[in-house]
Amino acid sequence: MTYYLTNILVYAGVDIIACLALNLQFGVSGIVNFSFIVFQAAGAYTAAVLSLPPDSANGGFQNYVLGAQLPFPLPWIAGAVVGGLLSIPVGLVVLRRLRPDYQAIAMLVLSVIVNLVITNARPFLNGAAGLSLIPQPLSDQFNPYSAGYLWGYVGAAAVCALLVFLVAQRIVKSPYGRTLRAMREHELAVTALGKNPVVLKMTIFIVGGVMAGLSGAVLVQFITIWAPSTWLYPETLILFAAVIVGGRGNNIGALLGAVLVPVGFEEATRYLPQFGPPGLVPAFEWVAIGMLIIGFLWFRPKGVVPERPGRIPAASAPGGGRLAEDSGAR
Amino acid sequence: MNLYLAAFGFGLVSTSVLAIAAVGFTMQFGISNMINLAYGEVMIASAYAAYSLNSQGVSIWIALLAGAAFGAAFSFLLNRILYAPFQRKGTALIGMVIISLAASLMIANVMLPIVGYYSVSYRQGSGSTFHVGAIALTGVQVAIIGVAIAMMLAIHALLTLTRLGKAMRATAANATLARNCGIPTRRVIDTAWLITGALCGVAGTVAGMNSESFSVSSGSGFLITIIAAAVLGGAGHPYGAMVGALLIGEVTELSAAVISPQYKEVVAFAILVLVMVLRPQGLLAKRGAMAAAG
Amino acid sequence: MQAGSRRRRSRTLATAAVLGLFLAACGSGSTSSSSGGGGSGPLLVGVVAPFTGADAALGPAYFAACLPAVRAINNAGGVNGRQVSCQQFDTRGEPADAVPAANQMLAANSNLMAVVGCTSDEASSVVPIIDHAHIPMFCMTGQSEFNKSSFTYFHRLVPPDEFDAYAIVGSALDFNHYKRVALVFGNDIGSQAFVPPAMKALQNLGATVTINQAIALGQPSYRTEVTALLATHPDVIFTEALGPTDATYLAEVKQLNGSSLPFLGTSATIDPVWFKAVSDAIGIPDMLKYFQAVDLGVSFSGPGYTEFKTNLDASAAQFADAPKYAERGATLHLYDGIMQAALAMDATHSADPTVYNPKIKDIGNGVSGAVDVHTYKDGVAALASGKSIRWVGAGGVTSYNQYNNSQQGYILVKYDASGNEVTIGTLTSAQTAAVIAAGGG
Repeated sequence: MTYYLTNILVYAGVDIIACLALNLQFGVSGIVNFSFIVFQAAGAYTAAVLSLPPDSANGGFQNYVLGAQLPFPLPWIAGAVVGGLLSIPVGLVVLRRLRPDYQAIAMLVLSVIVNLVITNARPFLNGAAGLSLIPQPLSDQFNPYSAGYLWGYVGAAAVCALLVFLVAQRIVKSPYGRTLRAMREHELAVTALGKNPVVLKMTIFIVGGVMAGLSGAVLVQFITIWAPSTWLYPETLILFAAVIVGGRGNNIGALLGAVLVPVGFEEATRYLPQFGPPGLVPAFEWVAIGMLIIGFLWFRPKGVVPERPGRIPAASAPGGGRLAEDSGAR
Repeated sequence: MNLYLAAFGFGLVSTSVLAIAAVGFTMQFGISNMINLAYGEVMIASAYAAYSLNSQGVSIWIALLAGAAFGAAFSFLLNRILYAPFQRKGTALIGMVIISLAASLMIANVMLPIVGYYSVSYRQGSGSTFHVGAIALTGVQVAIIGVAIAMMLAIHALLTLTRLGKAMRATAANATLARNCGIPTRRVIDTAWLITGALCGVAGTVAGMNSESFSVSSGSGFLITIIAAAVLGGAGHPYGAMVGALLIGEVTELSAAVISPQYKEVVAFAILVLVMVLRPQGLLAKRGAMAAAG
Repeated sequence: MQAGSRRRRSRTLATAAVLGLFLAACGSGSTSSSSGGGGSGPLLVGVVAPFTGADAALGPAYFAACLPAVRAINNAGGVNGRQVSCQQFDTRGEPADAVPAANQMLAANSNLMAVVGCTSDEASSVVPIIDHAHIPMFCMTGQSEFNKSSFTYFHRLVPPDEFDAYAIVGSALDFNHYKRVALVFGNDIGSQAFVPPAMKALQNLGATVTINQAIALGQPSYRTEVTALLATHPDVIFTEALGPTDATYLAEVKQLNGSSLPFLGTSATIDPVWFKAVSDAIGIPDMLKYFQAVDLGVSFSGPGYTEFKTNLDASAAQFADAPKYAERGATLHLYDGIMQAALAMDATHSADPTVYNPKIKDIGNGVSGAVDVHTYKDGVAALASGKSIRWVGAGGVTSYNQYNNSQQGYILVKYDASGNEVTIGTLTSAQTAAVIAAGGG
C-alpha cells in the first residue's frame, strides 16, 4: 500500500509542477505550448545521464552520453537548467517569428520531430529502448525500497512542488503577471504601452521550461527509466486538459487539475470492475477518461476553480475570457 | 537518377492519400474552426467499415464507397453530438482541441475491442504494373492517384461552381456575416461535415489499400502528417492542403533516397517548421477560397 | 491591502491542499509491504502487460496463457485447495504508466501467487517493484540487462534477443559456410537488439559484414536500400523486419537482382503472419528455396503440449480468441511458468513466496531422481506420494541457470509449402557456446 500511495503522491507532485508551469505559459500568458512534454523530457534525460554511471557499466547494454554519476540534488538542478536552456532557442524561433495559431501547431510538430529523432539516434540517449537502471537519489546511502525513503521522496517532490507554487503565485500577483494577463487579453494594447510582447513571452516561456525540466527530473529518478514512449505528444494534451479542467489562469486551479486529471482520472479508472475478454476493461478505462474530460468541460467550462475576473481589469467586461482565448488561439 | 525517379513515383501515391485526407481536415478547420484530433481515428474506423465488407468478398471499390459513407455519417454525428454543442457554449479553440483529443481516445478504445488488435489487409488484386521510365506503379496505386485527382477536381468544382460551395466559403470567411446575409450557416456546416467526413472515409480506406496492412493504432500515425500538410499550405485552405500534401509526400520519399530512410519523416517535418518560420502565413498566402475565420 | 489579504488566503488554500494530500497519505499508508498468496481465499495470477496502445496485441496472448493454466489447476482441486483466477493489469505499453499499474496491483491484491507478462516495454520499471514485493514473475522481455540480474523472483523462459543473433551466426557459418553477410533489420528496438551482438560474433569468427541497414518499418518501397545492398554482393541476408516490411524488401531484392538471395530470419520470422506476407510477395517456391530461420526448440507436440492445448481450447468459453494462441511461444512458456509456481506451492505446502519461490527452480530443472510430469493433476499426485517432480510442459524442458534464465537449444528451420516449420538442423551446445563466446555474451 505504501508503494502505491507514495507512487501516486510523487506523480501528483510531478504533475502539479508541470501544470503550474503550463498554467503560467498557457493560462496566464496565452502561449499554447504544445511541445511542453519535450521540456519535461529534456529535464528527465538530463537527470538520467547525470546520475547514471558511464554507459560501459552493467555490461554496456545501453548507449548514452555523459554518465556523470553526480550526487543528488545536482541532477535535479541540472534538469531544471536544461529545461530552461532548451526553451531559449525554441522560444526565439517560435515566439518571435510565428503567428499565435501557428505557434501552437509548430510546437505540436516540434514535439513529434524531437521524439522521432531521439527514437532513431541510438547512441545519444539509447533510442527507442530508452534509459533504464537510472539510480534513485542517494540510493547508495539508503534503501530505496524502505517506506521511509519513499516518504522522503514524496517530501522532496512536495518541496519542489511547493517551491514552484510559490514562484508561480509570486509571478501571477506581481505587476509582471498583470502585464502578462493584459498581453493575453490584448497583445496590441500592451505593445502600445511600450512593453515588448516577445520579451514578456520569452521570459515566461523560459520560467515554464525550468519548471518542466524539474518535473521531469523528479519523475525520472523515481521510476528509474525514461524512453520515447513516455513523452509522446498526447501527454502534453492531457496536461492541457488538466489546466483547463482545473481552471486556467489560476494556480489553485492548475493544482487541482493536476490532482484530478492525470492522477485522479487515470488512477480511479483502474478500479473499474473486470468483465469480458482481456483488453476490454483497459480500453474502457480510456473511454472513461475521455468522458470525464468532456463531462468536466461541459459542466464546468471555466474550470473547477475559475480565474477570478475581478483581478483582471481587461476581462471585467462580460465575455472577456472568451475574447482572451480567441486572441491567444487564432 | 533512376532511383530518384522511382522514389518520385512512390511519392505521388503518398501524396494522393495525403491530399484526400488533408483537404478534409483543413476544410473542417476552415468552416468549423475545429482542429479535429479525432480525424485519424475516424479514418481508421472508416477503413475498418470498408474492411468489414471487403472481407466478406465485396469488391474493394464498392467497399471504398462504404468507407466514404461511414466517414461522412460518423463525422456528421461527431460534430452534431459533440463538437457543435460545445462550440455553441462558447468553448474556444484550445478547449475544442482537448475535446477532440478526448473523442479520439474514446473512438480508438471503443474500436479496439470490436475490431481486435491485429493488422488486417484488404483483399485486392494489385493488377498489372505500369512503367513510365523508371517509375513503376501497381494498378491499385495508379487507381489511388486517379481517385485523388477526381476528388480534388470535385472539391474545386464544389467550391467555385455551386451555391453550396459559395455558402461554405462565406461561412468560413465570417460565419456571423454569412448568417446575417441569409445563409443557413448551420445547414452549411452540417453539409460541410458530411463532405469532409466522406473525404476522411475515402482517405482512411485508400491509406489501408496503399500500405497493404493497417491496425487500430495506425490512426494516430496518420494524423501528424495530415496536420503538417494542412498547415504547410496555409491552415483552412483546401488548395494549400493539396500543395502541402504534394510537398510532404514527395519530400518523405525523396529524402529516403537521398539521406536516410530512418529520418524521412523528420526531414518532412523539419521543412514544415522551416516554411512556418520563413513564411508564417503558409505557402498559399492570399486568403483564398476558404481561410480560417478571424 | 485587499491584494495582501487575498494572497494570504491563496497560500492557506495551497498549504491546506498539500497538507490534505499528506494526511490522506498517512491515514491509509500504515499497512506493511504486501507479500503474495495472502489470506485463505482464492489466489490470483496477475497479467501485467500492454492491453491498450501500440502493443495492445501482447496482453491478450499472455492472458491466453493464464486461462488454460488456472483451468487445469482448478479442475485438479486448486493450489493447496485454493482456486486460482487471472486478472489483467494494463501497463499501456509505457514504462511510466506501468509503475502505478504494478503498484496498484500489489496494493489492491494480497492474494497474488505469480505475475506473468512484463514485456520489454515495461520490464525495466516493473520488475524491481514486483521483485521487492516477493511475487514470482515470468517475464517475456528480451532485454539483456536481465541476463545476470539480482532479482530472485524474476524468471525468464525465453532467451534474451541477442542469443537469437548468436544462433543465426552459428547457423550461417557452421551449416552453410557463408562468408559475406548483409544485415537488414527494422529500426525498432526489438529488431535492432540483434545487430550489435551479431556484428561482433561475425567479425570475431572471420566473416565479413558487407552492409548493415536499419530500415524504417512500413514504408511503401525500399529500392534505394536494396540497390545499396546488392552492390556489396552478400552471400546471405540476415533479417528481421516485421509487419509488411520484409515482404516489400525481399520482393524488391528479387526484382532488382533478377532472383532471390538466401536469407536467414530470427525466431520472430517463424510466424504465420510473416510467412503469409513474405510468401505472397516472393512466391512459395522462393520461400522454400531461399529462406531459413533459427527457432527455439519447441515441438508443439508431446503430452505436456496436448494438456495445454486441451485446456486452451476449453478456455474459449472465457476468451473466444484463446485457441488462436496454440502455437505462440510466449503463451506456451507463460503457461509453463504458472504451472511451475503452482506446483512449487503444492510441494512446499505454502502460500508464502519466500518459501515456494526457490522451489520453482527445482520443479523446472528437476532435482536428481525427479519424475517428469506433464499435467498439473499428475504433478499433485506425484507430490502427494512423496516424489520429486520435474515439470515438462507445453514448451518442453526448462533449464534455469543461476539467474533464473532458461534457454533451450536452437534449431535451424525452414517452411514447407503450407507454412509449417520443418527442422533442418540443430545447433550443438558446443557450436552455440563458440558463437556466444565470440559475441562476448
